Amino acid sequence: MCGVCGCEQEQHGVRRVAVERSLLEHNRTQAASLAKQLAAHGIDAIGLLGGPGAGKTALLEATFEAFGREAAASEAVIEGDCATDFDARRIAAKGVRVAQVATGSLCHLDAHLVEHALHDMNLLGVSRLWIENVGNLVCPAPFPCGESRRVVVISVAEGDDKPEKYPAMIAGADLLVISKADLLPYVDFDVARCIAGARKARPGLPALVVSARSGAGLDSWLAWVRGEGA
Amino acid sequence: MHEAKLCLSLLALAEQSLAQAGGGRIVGVRLEVGDFAGVAPEALAAAFPICAAGTAADGAALQIEIVSGRDLVLRDLEVI
Repeated sequence: MCGVCGCEQEQHGVRRVAVERSLLEHNRTQAASLAKQLAAHGIDAIGLLGGPGAGKTALLEATFEAFGREAAASEAVIEGDCATDFDARRIAAKGVRVAQVATGSLCHLDAHLVEHALHDMNLLGVSRLWIENVGNLVCPAPFPCGESRRVVVISVAEGDDKPEKYPAMIAGADLLVISKADLLPYVDFDVARCIAGARKARPGLPALVVSARSGAGLDSWLAWVRGEGA
Repeated sequence: MHEAKLCLSLLALAEQSLAQAGGGRIVGVRLEVGDFAGVAPEALAAAFPICAAGTAADGAALQIEIVSGRDLVLRDLEVI
């Protein structure tokens, strides 16, 4: 009996087949092509990432309120959640075009899901697409979705150690938003420690402290969104 | 959390590579997992035999090497 599979032969000729390919390659290629298509249509795609309840949707609501009537014409949102269309309803209530992707048990969006969601959307006149990923600080990290910039949102209620605990997500970020700043008097959250922790994973990462509720820090956020730097 | 789905991508890539290499049966799979890939090697190892059942890699041994980085790379296959 052979030692490989237990068959009758004395010995198998085992050969090595070199592959040297990434499992993430397929999604990366799809995301790059999607990003190119969006750019060709003059659409700036921004990915919003963070844990469940970090305040990603609230930040969008505040953003669209600040943009006023212009938001309905130029903004579009893809909402990723395991279940419900709660977030899509919140966005639609601001008059903004939105598609909800219910991922079921899937823990992150990918380029394929986003592309499908876009097929059903009227993007005429849209100049900015928001891709709000499933609330999760781990799984979406290695799956680009066609966005050109990634924002990681961490609320003060979550704790200032989160960037150090979830370095893979921070490593792919272009901006850190520290949200729910209105709660700072009530929680032990060291803003400097949070930012320093994030910069260990991504040196020089810009960071903003924002409250969607009080409006504090929103001006800097809106400037960053418009591409005017953080 | 998404290790089973990654296992399916791994098996699709393995079977595609096997077909290109003239077919056979896969008895070994060598995978490189980046420490920043957001993937738990234990979960991958647990999901692999279940996902591999009924494929050309049924019963294959999965060897995982941890490297630095954010990628997941299928290095090579052992084929009989």
